[in-house]
Amino acid sequence: MPLGSVLFAFVVGALICLVTGANPVDAYSGLLCGGIGIACAQGENSALQISNTIVFLTPLITTGVAVALPFRAGLFNIGAEGQLIAGAIACTAIGVKFSGLPSPILLPMVLLGGMAAGALWAGIAGLLKATVGAHEVVTTIMLNYVAQWLLRYLIIGGPLQLREGTSTSLPIGHGARLPTLLPSDNSLIIFGLPASVYRVHTGLLIALAAAAIFAFLLWRTSFGYEIRAVGQSQKAARYAGISVRRTIILTMLIAGAFAGLAGAIQVAGVDHNLTDMYFSDTTGFDAIAVALLGLGSAVGIVVASLLFGALHAGGSIMQSDAGISSNLVLVLQALILFSIAANFVGAIRRGLPFGRASAELPPELPPAAGLMSEAAVPPPEPT
Amino acid sequence: MRMGHKRLRFVGLIAVAMVLVVACGSSGGGTPAKTFKIGLVTDTGGLNDKSFNHLADVGLEKAKTDFKIQGDVKESKTGADYIPNLTDFASKNYDLVIGVGFLMQQAVGTVSGTFPNIHFAIIDGAGTDANGVDLKHSNVVSLFFKEQDAGAMVGAMAGWLEKNGKSKKNQHVIGAVGGVSIPPVNHYIAGYKWAAKMEDPSIKVLVGYSNNFNDPAKCKSVAKAQIDQQADIVFQVAGGCGLGALQQAGQSGVYGIGVDADQKDADPSVIASALKKVDVATYTAIHNVVQGQFQGGALTFSIANEGAGYAVDNFDLPADLKAELDKVQGQIKSGALTPPADIPA
Repeated sequence: MPLGSVLFAFVVGALICLVTGANPVDAYSGLLCGGIGIACAQGENSALQISNTIVFLTPLITTGVAVALPFRAGLFNIGAEGQLIAGAIACTAIGVKFSGLPSPILLPMVLLGGMAAGALWAGIAGLLKATVGAHEVVTTIMLNYVAQWLLRYLIIGGPLQLREGTSTSLPIGHGARLPTLLPSDNSLIIFGLPASVYRVHTGLLIALAAAAIFAFLLWRTSFGYEIRAVGQSQKAARYAGISVRRTIILTMLIAGAFAGLAGAIQVAGVDHNLTDMYFSDTTGFDAIAVALLGLGSAVGIVVASLLFGALHAGGSIMQSDAGISSNLVLVLQALILFSIAANFVGAIRRGLPFGRASAELPPELPPAAGLMSEAAVPPPEPT
Repeated sequence: MRMGHKRLRFVGLIAVAMVLVVACGSSGGGTPAKTFKIGLVTDTGGLNDKSFNHLADVGLEKAKTDFKIQGDVKESKTGADYIPNLTDFASKNYDLVIGVGFLMQQAVGTVSGTFPNIHFAIIDGAGTDANGVDLKHSNVVSLFFKEQDAGAMVGAMAGWLEKNGKSKKNQHVIGAVGGVSIPPVNHYIAGYKWAAKMEDPSIKVLVGYSNNFNDPAKCKSVAKAQIDQQADIVFQVAGGCGLGALQQAGQSGVYGIGVDADQKDADPSVIASALKKVDVATYTAIHNVVQGQFQGGALTFSIANEGAGYAVDNFDLPADLKAELDKVQGQIKSGALTPPADIPA
C-alpha cells in the first residue's frame, strides 16, 4: 500500500511535469541526486547530498514516532510541530542559561529539558481529552500556534532575543551541542570537500534509538499493549480493566517527549540557536505523512523519513539543475499523503486501524479484535 | 529554460573534455571562454514575493542575458535550507553565490568560512557568526542601500503636497510607521522627515514604531493614531506589518507610501513607493565578478548609482511636482544635497 502511494505520487508528478513543459526525467534525476547522491548532472558531491538528507530526516524520525504512537491509541496528534517547538525552546533556554556547564552535564540537561517541554505541550491536549473530552485534533492544532507565537515573543523582544533588531536567540553553550559525526573542521578535506560541510550529527543515533524504544514500548511492554487495546476499542479496554484516561494522558506525554526531543536535537545538533526559521518549519506536519506512510511501525517510519528527507534535500538540486521549481516536491508530498489518506479512509470504513490488513494485526490480539473496534459501525449483536 | 540548460550541459562536457586534453600533457590551444556560474539562494519568501527575492531574480536574469552566464536559483522552503543551498553552489565552485536578505546572515557567515575561495554576496546583510557579529570574510560582499535617499524622495513628495494644499486634509502633518527602531528603518524615516521639512518648513512629521515586521494589525493601529492626529500621508517602513498601515490610509481616505519594492498593488491609497533596487545591486555584484573586480566588504547602493529611488503609484503627478522631484533627485545625485542617516530633530 505505501509503495503504491509513492508510485502513484511519482507517476502523477511526472504527468504534472509534462503538462507544465518540464522533463520528468530531469526532475527525478535531480531529486535522486539531491536525495541520495546518484545521477548528478552538475558534478554535485554525493557525500554532501547524503549528509544533507540525513540532517533533514533525523527530526522526522522522532516526530514521526510522536505521531505514530498516539495513532496506536486512536489519537490523532497534529501537534508534533508545536511540541517540537516547545522542545527547541526549552533546549535553547537551558543551553543559554547554563552555557558554562561542561557537555556531560549540559547535553543531557538540554535533551531531557526538550523532552519535558514537548511532553508538557502534548500533555495539555492529553489531559483535556481525558478529562473534558476536548478533541485532540483541535487542541493540538491550536497549541501549535501557541508554541509558534511563544517562540516569536521569546526571540523578538523577549528574554531570549540576541539583541534589539534581531529575530534570533542567543547561541547555546558549546557544552549543549551534539557533536557531528565528522570533525567540524574547514581544513580537513573529506570526500573532496571541507569536513565541516557534512553536518550529520550524533542526533541521528539518538533518533534511531528513539525509534527502537518506540517499537519496544509498543510491542514488548504491558503499557504498549494497553495503548493498542485502547486504540482498538476503548470500551473493550475499559472492560479489560485498563484505565483509558491514564493511557490517553500517558500516551500523549510520551509522544510529546519524542517530538520535543526532535526540537532539542535540531537545536543542539544543527542550529545552535532559535531563529525565525521555526516560523516556516513543517517537520511536525511532514511527520504525519511519515507516520502514515510508515504504517506506524518503527522500521516503516525510518524508511519513510528517508524518503521525505531525500525529497526535501532533492528539491533544491532539482531546481538549480533542471530549472524545475522545488515546489514540485511539495506536490509529491501532498500526492503521497493524499493517496495514503484515500486508503486510510477505506481502511477505517472496514474497521481496520491504520490501513493494516487484518493479517498484519498484532498477533497478541485475538482475531476478533477488529470487530471490537468502535469504528466498526454496527453495534455488536446480542448473542 | 530546459534547452538552455541542455546547451549548458553540452558546453560543460566540452569544457571538461578540453580540460582533460590539456591535462593529458598537451600544452597547445587557448583557454576556452569561461562560462561564469552564478547561484542565487532566495529566503523563505520565494521567487514570487514581489519584493527582494523577485528583484534579485530580475537582476540575475538581466545578467544572464548581458553576460551569457549560467544562473541557477534555489528557493529556500524553510530556514533550514539556507546552509545546504549555499553549500551546494559553493561546493560546485560557482563564481558567485548570492544570498537574499538579512535572514541569511548567519548561513552566509558559516558557508563563506568553509569555502574561503568562493565569492559570496548578501543583500542587506553581512556574513555573521551566531552572535550577529560581522565575520568580515574577505570573500563576502555585503550589498547595502542608502535608504535615506529613497526616503528623501517620497518625503519631498509628501512635503510638497502639504505645502501646496494638494493633500487630503492639508494640516501640514504627515506620519511614518516604522517596524522596529533599527538602522535600515530609521534611515528611511530620516530621509523622509528631512526632505519633507525642506519642502514645507511648517510640517510636523509623526514617527511611530509597531515593534513588529509581520502583523498588519499592529501597524494599522499606529497609522490610525497618526491619522487621528491629522496626518494625511502615511509612509510605511515595516515590511509585511506596514501593509496594515497602507490599508488604514485607504480606509481613512488619506494617502499611503510603500517601501522597499513598488507597492502600488497593496492598496489604492498608495501614491508612491520608496525603492531599494535589489535588481540593480544583484546585477552589479554579478557584473563585478564577471569583470574580475570582485572585492570583499560592502557596496552601497544609492540614488547616485541608481540603486535607490522611488516609484509614483496610484497618483497623477502634477508637472510642477515632477519638476521639483527631478530637481531634488539631481541634487542628491550630484552630492549638492545629502539626506541624513539619523532622524533629524
